[in-house]
Amino acid sequence: MTASAISLPHGDGHDHHGPDAHGHDAHGHGAGHGHVHLQYQPGLPLSRGKLIMWLFLSTEIMFFAALLGSYVVLRFGAPAWPLPHHVHLSEPIGAFNTFVLICSSVTIVLALEAARANKSELAKIWMLATLLLGTLFLGVKAYEYSAKFSHGIYPWSPRSRVYEKPDLYYGSAVRARLGEPAMIDQLKTLDDTPEGSLSAEQRTGRERLRQIRTMITNPDQQPFDLAVVADQVMPLASGGGHGHGSGLNDVFPWLRLPAVIPGGNMWASTYFLLTGFHAIHVVVGLIVFTILLLYKLDRRTSGMIENAGLYWHFVDLVWIFLFPLLYLF
Amino acid sequence: MSIHDPHSDPQPHSGHGPVTRPGESADRESAADHHGAGATTTHAEHHESHGGIGTYMMVFLALCGLTTMSFFTYSSAWPWRDQPQVGWAFMLAVSCTKAMLVVLFFMHVLWEANWKYVLTIPAAMMAIFLALMLVPDIGMRTRMVAQERALYMPRQSDVRLMEQAGETGLPGAEPAGH
Repeated sequence: MTASAISLPHGDGHDHHGPDAHGHDAHGHGAGHGHVHLQYQPGLPLSRGKLIMWLFLSTEIMFFAALLGSYVVLRFGAPAWPLPHHVHLSEPIGAFNTFVLICSSVTIVLALEAARANKSELAKIWMLATLLLGTLFLGVKAYEYSAKFSHGIYPWSPRSRVYEKPDLYYGSAVRARLGEPAMIDQLKTLDDTPEGSLSAEQRTGRERLRQIRTMITNPDQQPFDLAVVADQVMPLASGGGHGHGSGLNDVFPWLRLPAVIPGGNMWASTYFLLTGFHAIHVVVGLIVFTILLLYKLDRRTSGMIENAGLYWHFVDLVWIFLFPLLYLF
Repeated sequence: MSIHDPHSDPQPHSGHGPVTRPGESADRESAADHHGAGATTTHAEHHESHGGIGTYMMVFLALCGLTTMSFFTYSSAWPWRDQPQVGWAFMLAVSCTKAMLVVLFFMHVLWEANWKYVLTIPAAMMAIFLALMLVPDIGMRTRMVAQERALYMPRQSDVRLMEQAGETGLPGAEPAGH
């Protein structure tokens, strides 16, 4: 590197970078004939890896700020936005996941401390704990996703069964679903099932389903009837009445009738985008931890652990804002 | 920013060591930036090599406590259930406190030299401007809409209609809709 810098003529202007960047080196070598011992002076009092990690994190700040900012702006500009229980969000599960990520932030810090103290075995244990906690977070997230999917809440249209309001379009979607050949067969099977082999919930559910089927095909139906149908399929109210989680889609999971969640589609788009990008970051973190576990985690590798830790804390940081914004707002 | 630090010379590339060691001089800088009590704790903790396990455990407990506090807004004991804005402000304050704790202690920013401001402040400002720039086009997108669009967009009245439908229940069934 230095040799090439010397070989370039001084102030040639041929390559501005070389002479400028190594001007000090070249001069030192020229004058002292290689006897001057040169010292690398970093421009900032931190290692290059850490500098790059912080630069990367500052771009990440803007990336997630854009996502979170658009979420907040979309949410508060929306004419209707679902409450957490409308979209089957469980606050206790979200709080548990927050706790898991906080724990993993502590374990990675402890791994770094252990590595700096040259206790490589201990560092490895903490690193493994971080990896497991991160995996637990993803597992809980996957469980939450499956709960959304099972209620027909998808961020893309052919699979999503979310309708914005109980209007004519919703009514025709329910009619279309009930008119599918396979559905007709299943409904006939349900009708023919003797009372005894059904649970109490299923018996009332079957009765409600029969009423909905007549209501939805009634040419004289009132606009309010569609709201009643939507409420029977998936109630919005959390307490009182028949309560949440006892809609027809819950009693008979194979029904998969379209459901009405005002603002639900925009909610699904933002929720899956935000948590999805966060989950991708978690996956990357887990890959990094797995790679780090292959090394001897002592003082020499503590720089790598520190950089991985910085990244992981940032992932934790994003979740700190995501949790209240998504689950509690 | 003073960068040249004689302490870092002996082993300039040994992982993290020199990076924190210039902090001795840099710390004095940052300690001067922090006022009063903050400066003394910075020094005290630095001598135990950045906080140590005790500090991390305290931060961990604080984070758990703060998470419980924001979760408290969800419980029925929260007194401002009819004014969601109070809860939002509270949770945002709690989140910012948690973020500060993580950044300052876990990410060691408290003990870093002044370069931390160069990286974090512009990024934070960009982040804020980014969100603010979305407000007129997206945040206010439903202030004035075409009539056709208003017909098909979800309204708060749809939520009320569904809740009403839940109370009324099916026409034939008992009023509770059970």
